[in-house]
Amino acid sequence: MKSYKSNDLLEGLQADIRQLVLDATYLQKEDPELLLTAPAPGKWSVAQILEHLNGYGRYYIPAIEKSLQSAKPHKEKFTPGWLGNYFTKIMKPGADGKIANKMNAPKNHQPAAGLDIKPVMDIFFEQQQRLLDLLEKAKQKDIGAIKTPVSISRFIKLKVGDTFRFFVAHEQRHFLQIANAIDEIKKTTGKFRSTPPVIQRSPVFLYD
Amino acid sequence: MEPIDQLHQFIFAIQPLKDEEWQLFSAIWQPFECKRKTILTAAGETEKHLYFVIEGLQRAFYVGDDQKEATIVFTYPPSFSGVADSFLTQTPSKCFFETLTTSRFLRTSHRQLEELMNKYPAVQHLVLRLTAFALKGVLERQIEIQCFSAEEKFRALLKRSPHVLQIIPHKYLASYLGIDPATFSKLLGTVRL
Repeated sequence: MKSYKSNDLLEGLQADIRQLVLDATYLQKEDPELLLTAPAPGKWSVAQILEHLNGYGRYYIPAIEKSLQSAKPHKEKFTPGWLGNYFTKIMKPGADGKIANKMNAPKNHQPAAGLDIKPVMDIFFEQQQRLLDLLEKAKQKDIGAIKTPVSISRFIKLKVGDTFRFFVAHEQRHFLQIANAIDEIKKTTGKFRSTPPVIQRSPVFLYD
Repeated sequence: MEPIDQLHQFIFAIQPLKDEEWQLFSAIWQPFECKRKTILTAAGETEKHLYFVIEGLQRAFYVGDDQKEATIVFTYPPSFSGVADSFLTQTPSKCFFETLTTSRFLRTSHRQLEELMNKYPAVQHLVLRLTAFALKGVLERQIEIQCFSAEEKFRALLKRSPHVLQIIPHKYLASYLGIDPATFSKLLGTVRL
């Protein structure tokens, strides 16, 4: 199985998260009403998508934090597990910027409607900073040795390096959904000013 | 020339160090490289690294309320790079820092540099001199931004750094001067330097 230089992988994931922070910075400067509008009945608004991501962060960030505390010292190479590769692959949008296989979020990760956008954005930014810190801390650890249980079942565990990859892929997937939702809302309502796309459609994936 | 020799040359032109000081100073730098359009520091993050540019072009930029990016600074070899204010104060950056082309650096951490500064006054003096020149550059640019017309800013930039026209895409230069890309093209066509 393909292996990575641990620190190259962690640096790459940090760069990926910083790109999401930049994308979210653009979103923050959009009309708040746009972010609360559903692109179609039954579809999530941008605020709901972000809240869904925050829900993931609420589970995974403390879980990763806990795993890293018990981790052994740094190892130069990291080999992903087959399950980690599988989870990351199904999450990650294609290089063409398209989401191949649609899926529905598990029930406990369904965000409520009628959100207040400011705290949702604040939490999103705060979580990304914590992740950047955790990725930095992980550079001192063996990211292949310790495992984190996934949110859907505590019996399924991923290597912490894979948890990072999967988590970032999940965020990237939903940022494409956000870009598509904004296009759709602008087209159907004709209400919001037409700015250039705020989110990079074909993100530079440093590490796949 | 080896990267570390480039750093040596750059440093010694500002502040010569004794053998022992240089030995220790040169030991805190690690090579680092990345692709174009890699964000190395996000807004909200505290700059951990000081970079010395060996190859490539980078910029720091701020995203305004109108979603316009203001380019604050460019860096290219040979020079130091990173978000300087965040690095020196160890407080969160307001800017994003990214590579515009494939880049190679030497880089060190705040902790490593600070340790040397605490032990060696010459290193501290070196950092002070670097900061002083950076501050001088910032204040000069502040004057240009506040007091100069678009044409005057354009002239001042090209007088100071004529080579940037070749190495920096013009849309970023326009964003650096705070003028419209169309105005920039017009100036490029009409202004006699």
